[in-house]
Amino acid sequence: MKNLTKLALAGAIAAVTATASMAQELYTPNLSYRTGPFAATGIPLMNGQRDYMLMLNARDGGIGGVPVNFEECETGYSTEKGVECYERTKGQAIVTQPWSTGITLQVLPLTNVDEIPILAPGYGFSPMSDGKVFQWAFNMPAGYWDAASMILNELGGGTPAGLAGKKIGFLHLDHPYGKEPIPFFENMAAEHGFEFLPIPVGLSEMQNQSAQWLQIRRERPDYVVMWGWGAMNAGAITEAVKTRYPMDQFIGVWWSGHDADLAQVGADGAGYRSISWSQPQNDSGVMQAVNEHVVSAGDSLASDEERSGVFYQRGVVMSMMLAEAIGNAQAEFGVSEISASQLRWGLENINLTADRLAELGATGMVSPFSTSCSNHTGHAGGWMLQWDGEKFVQASDHLTSDMDAIKPLIAAAAADYAAANAPWPTNDDC
Amino acid sequence: MEMLSKIFVEPFADMVAAPDFLMQVIWEGLVSGVLYALIALGFVLIFRSSRIFNFAQGIMVVFAALTLVGLHAMGIPAWVSVALTLVVMFIIAVAIERIVLRPLVGQPDIILFMATIGITLFLVGTGETIFGGENKVMITSELGIPTGDVVLEPFGGFLLLQHLDITVVISAALLVCALLVFLGKTQMGRAIRALGDDHQAALSVGISLQTIWVLVWFVSGIIALVTGIAWGARAGVSFALEIIAFKALPVLMLGGLESITGAIIGGLAIGVLEKMFEIYWGQPLLGGNTEVWFAYVLALGVLLFRPQGLFGEKIIERV
Repeated sequence: MKNLTKLALAGAIAAVTATASMAQELYTPNLSYRTGPFAATGIPLMNGQRDYMLMLNARDGGIGGVPVNFEECETGYSTEKGVECYERTKGQAIVTQPWSTGITLQVLPLTNVDEIPILAPGYGFSPMSDGKVFQWAFNMPAGYWDAASMILNELGGGTPAGLAGKKIGFLHLDHPYGKEPIPFFENMAAEHGFEFLPIPVGLSEMQNQSAQWLQIRRERPDYVVMWGWGAMNAGAITEAVKTRYPMDQFIGVWWSGHDADLAQVGADGAGYRSISWSQPQNDSGVMQAVNEHVVSAGDSLASDEERSGVFYQRGVVMSMMLAEAIGNAQAEFGVSEISASQLRWGLENINLTADRLAELGATGMVSPFSTSCSNHTGHAGGWMLQWDGEKFVQASDHLTSDMDAIKPLIAAAAADYAAANAPWPTNDDC
Repeated sequence: MEMLSKIFVEPFADMVAAPDFLMQVIWEGLVSGVLYALIALGFVLIFRSSRIFNFAQGIMVVFAALTLVGLHAMGIPAWVSVALTLVVMFIIAVAIERIVLRPLVGQPDIILFMATIGITLFLVGTGETIFGGENKVMITSELGIPTGDVVLEPFGGFLLLQHLDITVVISAALLVCALLVFLGKTQMGRAIRALGDDHQAALSVGISLQTIWVLVWFVSGIIALVTGIAWGARAGVSFALEIIAFKALPVLMLGGLESITGAIIGGLAIGVLEKMFEIYWGQPLLGGNTEVWFAYVLALGVLLFRPQGLFGEKIIERV
């Protein structure tokens, strides 16, 4: 009996301690993938995200004095595992970061019920931009349709009208992510009179794309646009080099612009371009802070080479945007330990001006943008980065997407989604 | 009528109109087929000697390639790294026999199959811990593998042959020849075949089960290393290479699990046929990406008529 009493007492103390410790943190789980076929591209991004939060914890004691618990849940880029991770972490989470368009689409309806914001920076479902319909989903600073629009503008010499009569091959992963921009491309092809040719790449064919590149040889597209991920990127780039496809006619989305993928071909890949909403700034204040508080302390998982790359520093920017939203919510509601719904307000009120970016030490890493209740993307625009044989360098001025073309499509797609999933709650206050 | 023309007329007209392109399609199919056959060979060798379907063959390819690249990154010369990688694969073979297989002797096949899933998970975890998940560049040039190309002009057209692909085809052919000589002409090779034919009879004449298992797992490790180099040279070395093991499954279904000849012919047939189907029928009619399922449908068709595969042994079990 005595032992039982002791055991009960110990249990109670442990429960109280655990509750207290849980309450003294901001739990922002990341549904990461450091294993499996997509790990090669996932790892640097997740290292960047992690290191920024570690830096805030080390330098500032967290955000608003509350440490950030940036726990990772491994999904292996599997949608099923991603949903499991979401279910496992949602109890205490103030945000979920699904890290795959497939997982995002699965948890999208769940977050309406659980009232947890989804943060999917630069990925996910493009109509999530419509905050009135997708109250809990955010994909700032730019969505896939922004990327598609900027690419078409660039290829058309400033406007997609310049592509009339041309043929564009769309090499994409045969996965929800790869198919995401197809409605936008098809719409623009019909409007501007260019031919759009989708070329899917299956998971098991990512490293042997000879059939896809034979099709490209036969169809002779004027440009090849790539929506690749994981091993598909390196597979496509090596195949393009092998088949002597002109690299200056080959252009990828921001997830197809990873330094390590291009390193497979080195100088042979020179000229390849990738649209990007972020760009590395090795000497920036934020990178110096990460070096000082995380790298020097031996807490970073990334190598020196990785930390100077596009993906790692994009991960840093992702966490910076989340931290900014948390800070906004703390200031607005006057509490340090914010709730998920308070964070939603924070995400809807991001205002990263040039001055604020300078204050954060991130000038040039992402362009200034703001979000609102109705605009969950921000549509920040980006830059064209080009592989010079050794690294990606900026190859354009700041680019923006054609919002006149995107907005009606977003509204229509969001309305279709809501109708197909009725009853779907909307935020009529927006 | 138009559909019938697209199926039965236009593809063949395209082949005749552009014979150089057809040759390119066949060549690419052959190269893919050789790579599929290499993976399938690893499965066949282990199945022949132990009736174990080795689920770990894919991760062995990854592990071998990662070890090679990892050792070279430590400053060890390329060919010394190859030798050390073979030592690592031998140690893995011994460990698998001692720790996993020996305690399971006499257990049902499904138990041994499940054990290979365990080996897979162990190698995945160990590999990620030691080497990390990042994509690494295969040391192609350091190994002396040529990386240029040859341009031919058959029928006044354009045919591009990569030196790397030619090297892969020749290396695979030499490896298969060596394997056939080993299995057919050496005492150890005959012992492997004997064990595959009848365990009890082989054991009764003094063939050591333990030695043979270590040997076949080691030879599978060698094949895994060659496969890893060949695939890794195409798009880098990462855990994504594990996926390619799935391409060996229809090859095994088609060629038969016990037949080396079946693995080779099955691999080549699937490589060429899936490529031709994709280019001439799949892309124009079905939107492409038919390679994901074509080989399975083909294998399924064969299984309907020959459940043991084209070259597999017909097993008659009497009650």
